[in-house]
Amino acid sequence: MQHCTPEQLALAALRETLPANEDAHLASCGSCRAEVTALRRAPELLAVPHLAAPVDDVPPPPQVWQAIAAATGVTATPADHSPVRAAPATPAADPGGTVVPFRSRRRPVLLTAAAVVAGAVVGAGAVTAVQSTGEDGDSVTSVALDLLPEASGTADVVVRGDGSRVLQVDLDAPALEDAYYEVWVIDRSVQGMLPLGVVTPGTQTVELPDGLDLSEYPLVDVSVEPLDGDPTHSGVSVARGDLDA
Amino acid sequence: MSGALALREPIMGSVQAVGHVPGTRSVVDPDDAEIGRRFAAGEEQALAWAYEQWAGQVHGMAVRAFGPGPDAEDVTQQVFVAAWTGRARYRPDDSPLPAWLVGICRHKIADAWAKRDKQRREAEAAMTEAQARPGGPVTAGVDAAATDRVLLLDELDHLGQPQRGIIELAFFEDLTHAQIAERTGLPLGTIKSHIRRTLERLRTRLEVDGAALHA
Ligand SMILES: [Zn+2]
Repeated sequence: MQHCTPEQLALAALRETLPANEDAHLASCGSCRAEVTALRRAPELLAVPHLAAPVDDVPPPPQVWQAIAAATGVTATPADHSPVRAAPATPAADPGGTVVPFRSRRRPVLLTAAAVVAGAVVGAGAVTAVQSTGEDGDSVTSVALDLLPEASGTADVVVRGDGSRVLQVDLDAPALEDAYYEVWVIDRSVQGMLPLGVVTPGTQTVELPDGLDLSEYPLVDVSVEPLDGDPTHSGVSVARGDLDA
Repeated sequence: MSGALALREPIMGSVQAVGHVPGTRSVVDPDDAEIGRRFAAGEEQALAWAYEQWAGQVHGMAVRAFGPGPDAEDVTQQVFVAAWTGRARYRPDDSPLPAWLVGICRHKIADAWAKRDKQRREAEAAMTEAQARPGGPVTAGVDAAATDRVLLLDELDHLGQPQRGIIELAFFEDLTHAQIAERTGLPLGTIKSHIRRTLERLRTRLEVDGAALHA
């Protein structure tokens, strides 16, 4: 009778049940059994309950984090189990960021640009639906980003075929060392902000979360974020535009 | 990695005045993938988030291996410190951060076992010598398991995806190849041939470097 296939012997080493024919062969064939035995050592050593996927959470005592923080020098702290909500919009006495004036810019309506954008995102999903938030009913909501002379660009809201939206950001700005650009949408009071992702000089897309109401967050903002681990806006914006302007 | 992003709560603050109070937490709860990306990028806050989310899982594993107490706490600490200092090796697109942490935890547990085993053997050898018992080291070869386990976990680290994910499901979640196919959406034949090749690779590693050989 034919020997078991190498794949079947591997499954037998994992103690899976083989089809009846192969099982019978294995019981009577010394060479197949020897192969299973040789393959079995690794699963026997590793497939032990102590190393299995975790089941029960056991919160460690506080000194464990203290030891980790001491060993890594990390100063950020995990939340305790009564999460502190940051007080909204209390201006700090000493603003940590550069104060930049906000200017509204007219939205350029460029249907040719829209066509280019549609082509550019085909790889991410064919554009079959369009957004028509603008009073002109143009296929893509486009906004010029401008704030500081060092940086400029455009941001385009593109609706993909599956209804999801992306923001295509074309950023013309100097490359950064020890910092990065992040794109945000911000509400009109410049209080509520949603980070959308890291961007670099050039063209890229970031996802727009489902359910995000862009009329609530009409300001597109590009900030310079230091590598400090602080997820909040640095306060230093280099480019900004108003989707409703 | 595609998939719609859930709408998060906005950060409340002002651009002009960025009031980050040390020790307080941002109102934003980043999702797991975001924590993974920021962890890989070296953002310190991501280490704190990872600890918030997964220290219980890691410590739970350590407690299962060593019981509650200093040994389990020590392993938990080692896992997060090793993850942070080794974050350049973490590939967010390859595996979720908790899976990576659990993988490191397996290493730390196996390392601790091997260390205990070595101490025990040294103690036994010393006792044998002191008592001038004939027969040499009594446990040569017998305790290869602890060191072989360390070797095997190391070999798993060298597997690419999807091989690694497949063998982890077989070893650590006790899934059959049919269940793995279902879970991963890969064809049965692919799963079987990956399992075969991975088991052969692990066997070879044991034959080349295995403790039993050198005992
Ligand atoms: Zn045979």
